[in-house]
Amino acid sequence: MSGQQPEYMVARIQDALATDPRTGELELDVRIAGGRVFLVGAVATAERREAVEQVVREVVPDLEVLNELSVTEDQGPGPAEPVS
Amino acid sequence: MTRIAAVGDLHAGPDSVGTIRSRFDDLSDRADVLLLAGDLTRRGTEEEGRIVAEELGDLGVPVIAVLGNHDHHSGQEARIREQLERAGVRVLEREGVVLDIDGTRLGVAGTKGFGGGFAGASASAFGEDEMKAFVGHTETLAAGLEEALAGLQANRADVRVALTHYAPVDATLAGERLEIFPFLGSYLLAEAIDRAGADVAIHGHAHRGTEKGVTAGGVTVRNVAETVIGHAYKVYRVGDSVGARRRPSGGGSSRSYSSRTTS
Repeated sequence: MSGQQPEYMVARIQDALATDPRTGELELDVRIAGGRVFLVGAVATAERREAVEQVVREVVPDLEVLNELSVTEDQGPGPAEPVS
Repeated sequence: MTRIAAVGDLHAGPDSVGTIRSRFDDLSDRADVLLLAGDLTRRGTEEEGRIVAEELGDLGVPVIAVLGNHDHHSGQEARIREQLERAGVRVLEREGVVLDIDGTRLGVAGTKGFGGGFAGASASAFGEDEMKAFVGHTETLAAGLEEALAGLQANRADVRVALTHYAPVDATLAGERLEIFPFLGSYLLAEAIDRAGADVAIHGHAHRGTEKGVTAGGVTVRNVAETVIGHAYKVYRVGDSVGARRRPSGGGSSRSYSSRTTS
């Protein structure tokens, strides 16, 4: 069935991640390869990392999900840079 | 010389309570002002606005922000703005503010900005009403940014900063997929910045982009999305050459005023 083509599944996952109240994430990289879903990118908290995975599992319950998201920790201030 | 701390895309949510404020613990030792380049919240709810406002209150330096697309998602951007301003965060939308920082007049003009793409691959206000509205929104905000920047000049700002959420150039989008560039920014913002003049342009929004860029007119551009800079914030020293032409500060207070240039 055409709706199950990986290309359409990726779009449905990205729509769900953007609009689901548990996530609201637009900037994550979603790929389906070898029958598995790969999630790459950064989210703000560990809770959101888990929420993203949960939403994806609900959209494509039959696929294995590899959650490779990183969490943006407090990385301290960056170095000062003169710009003008 | 003015030390400008900047970060974008904090994306505060209910799980952010207590996690944002700690990032700015020693901010006042490192910077004179904090600029926030939009997407302060995750879904743009009033609750998230309250949370981020509480996190950002009384940081020890003036805080100036623009809102981003996430802050508009729930249609509660006006409430978010109110909450931030009640906490002392100045929110700019086609507006400028000039701060007196130890005798240097730091001007910041801001707008959310919007998309449309970049020269050679940009949208035009043609065809359906929806397309005209899309491009028209960017045109309106870019024109407002230009007017606000010009207002900084009129208010004798020594240093001028353009603050947006969307990107004014494509150089700082490197790393993002080319196909989504039109949703990440617009050359109209850069054109406005170049016409009005600025020392630096700061934006967020492009999480997978690149920090450093420049407009066609030579204005330094920095993408400060948190995931791009890889830090709680970056500090940019602006106006190293301004000291010689500083005006008397009248006591070096941080008195500020603003000039709303368009509505």
